[in-house]
Amino acid sequence: MKSFGTAIGATLLVACMGQAASATTQNVIFNGTISPTCTLVIATNGTMTVSPDLQSLSSHNSGGSAGTVTLTTTGGVSLSVDPVTTTTVPSADTTSTTWTPTYSAAGAHSIVETGSATAITTPGADLVSVNLAGTKSGSNRFSNGNYQATVTLRCE
Amino acid sequence: MTHVRTLATAMAVALMPIAAGAQSMSPMRGEINSFTDVFAVRVFPANPYDQKIRVEIHVYDQDFQPVDARISPSVFQLGSQASRSVLVVVPFGGAVERKVRICTESIPFPNQQTQIKAQICGKFFGHRKS
Repeated sequence: MKSFGTAIGATLLVACMGQAASATTQNVIFNGTISPTCTLVIATNGTMTVSPDLQSLSSHNSGGSAGTVTLTTTGGVSLSVDPVTTTTVPSADTTSTTWTPTYSAAGAHSIVETGSATAITTPGADLVSVNLAGTKSGSNRFSNGNYQATVTLRCE
Repeated sequence: MTHVRTLATAMAVALMPIAAGAQSMSPMRGEINSFTDVFAVRVFPANPYDQKIRVEIHVYDQDFQPVDARISPSVFQLGSQASRSVLVVVPFGGAVERKVRICTESIPFPNQQTQIKAQICGKFFGHRKS
């Protein structure tokens, strides 16, 4: 009787062997949505110097320097500069000046110097260089004194 | 009018994102349905600098013309790495829908020869529901 019981038990054990224990699993789903974002951090303002013929006041001239801005974005944004509207000129300067803001970028995106809007479709960080050039035509010249201009760099 | 403001604020609260640090403004996109003659957006300008900056909030239309929106607050000082909420209430002006840009502007380093103004603009689309 004892051996019969043992045989039955062994049979049942063999019958159950090879059957994996049924584990219960549930998926936990995480969703995340990132809308287009953009961060501009101004590192340095620019400096303009005057050309030898006194008809150009520009960050491109010798001794001048571009302003630098760090751009970090998810992509899906547009970068642009506005026409310069805010300037301060010395009282001795009574002639008109044409101001041309431009920018370029290096890093995750490569943007050749431009004054037009650039669509940025991919994520990444860039160092944006912002330049400003003021020019006078004809017999007009820049005068001594302090000049100041504001360039608006927009990310939207 | 109070009822309108309450509704508008309620809708703005519904649009509230989780404010993140080191971000100039969030959200930068939004579509809002409103049952009143205004729609409201709550945005979160942030200061990524290690210094306090002066921040201005402006609202423009698609052609970058100023929009007569109610902005609370429109000009403020923002501490280093800080963020705060700004409520913008935009009138439809008789239209059934209106696209506006809400822009965060700052000149973190003023009084220099060539200043750079950083402008982060979000695009928002309001729909007037009847």
